Amino acid sequence: MRTHHGHLEPQPGPAASPAAGPDLAALLSEVAAGEAAAFEAVYDHIAAPVFGIARAVLRDPCQAEEVTQDVLAEIWRTAACYNPARGSPMAWVAVIAHRRAIDRVRAEQASAARQQRAAVPPPPGYDEVAETVAASLEAERVRRCLGALTESQRRAVILTYYHGYTYRQAAALLGVPDGTLRTRIRDGLIRLRDCLGGQQ
Amino acid sequence: MTPARPHPHTLTGAYALHALTGPEAARFERHLARCPTCAQEIADFAETTARLADATAATPPADLKQQVLAAAARTRQLPPAIHQPTISRTRRAARPASATTLLPRRWLVLAAAVLALAAVIGLATRTTGHPPAPGQAPSRQIAAVLTAPDATMLDARITTGGTATIVMSRHAHALVFAATGLAPLPPTRCYQLWLLGPHSDTPAGMLPGPQHGPAGPITTTGLRPGTRLGLSIEPAGGSPQPTTAMILNVVL
Repeated sequence: MRTHHGHLEPQPGPAASPAAGPDLAALLSEVAAGEAAAFEAVYDHIAAPVFGIARAVLRDPCQAEEVTQDVLAEIWRTAACYNPARGSPMAWVAVIAHRRAIDRVRAEQASAARQQRAAVPPPPGYDEVAETVAASLEAERVRRCLGALTESQRRAVILTYYHGYTYRQAAALLGVPDGTLRTRIRDGLIRLRDCLGGQQ
Repeated sequence: MTPARPHPHTLTGAYALHALTGPEAARFERHLARCPTCAQEIADFAETTARLADATAATPPADLKQQVLAAAARTRQLPPAIHQPTISRTRRAARPASATTLLPRRWLVLAAAVLALAAVIGLATRTTGHPPAPGQAPSRQIAAVLTAPDATMLDARITTGGTATIVMSRHAHALVFAATGLAPLPPTRCYQLWLLGPHSDTPAGMLPGPQHGPAGPITTTGLRPGTRLGLSIEPAGGSPQPTTAMILNVVL
């Protein structure tokens, strides 16, 4: 079990949630104008979740660090592209972070296939995502909502989101039709959305 | 063989989790541009997945911050842009050059063939090592390998045709094997998996499933360092030792 679990923000008390914390949207518009101090504040706010999801997907802390660096560079470069009408700043950031981590996984799979060998040593002390998701209240909420899914929905969401399998890979490896896995993912996300939406 | 193209509406979830392959994602984005309902669903799912990401939050190494700030100081920013669809923008921007060299994912070419859970359970007796417990165990066993902290995936071409996909956990001494596009065999022959060791070869199961469609999944336990995974064509019913040349031979 991992113990060095980082909280997202330095909010006092257990009530800290993504909605608390600084106004990330306002900070991003300052970043878009080239404000270095605002970028530092953005870093403080998003580095932990970006690093966290990259490490969950990639499992290797060194690669997760590289991806975190790339993601932050992209945030700096493209802050002007963030459009509040399209969603929250954290959603924008998390999509970029997850996408970068997944791209790395897919590129590695391709090169592993070329070498006919996949040799990533297991990172020490890293456990199942479900177990690492435990330290903060936010993580507890997510864990509870994941627990409210059916087992097959949960498996579909965890394999694709946290472990980086494509839905077709996951379907083939679980021995279910593609369409079944697609449905499980979507139904699972709808249930998660409803569950988490009620628990901001 | 081309993959069956699912109706775009059913792909919103997989798209939001970045679980589509490149060409599928590109097709879906074309649909997304004229489907406000899908776009709204994707936007909602992005809020949901942000929470999933948040739940993994972990403090990165302290020196990362200075590196990031220093890199920003020497990086030119994009000017404010006319708003494009958020998701397609981030997808394009996030794609590294190496991703364009991805091999064709033929092993993902799955026909409509259904491998019911019952079939997987039926496999339990054919896996090597410890047989899984009854009921959900085989599917759990597969999931356990797929989600193992050290799970690694590779695909390999089978010399007589078809592609194998292997996910392996050294820690769990286990792997999951699936194959697509296998060449059809006469009824008197079958595909057999082997664990090839330095001193001896161990049967690791017979491939189930239609021979030209997807075959598997099959789980194999008892991996040891230096083991290779082999596949050969054997008389129906299998052999105690390989009797023909390996058509797949992968270092694990």
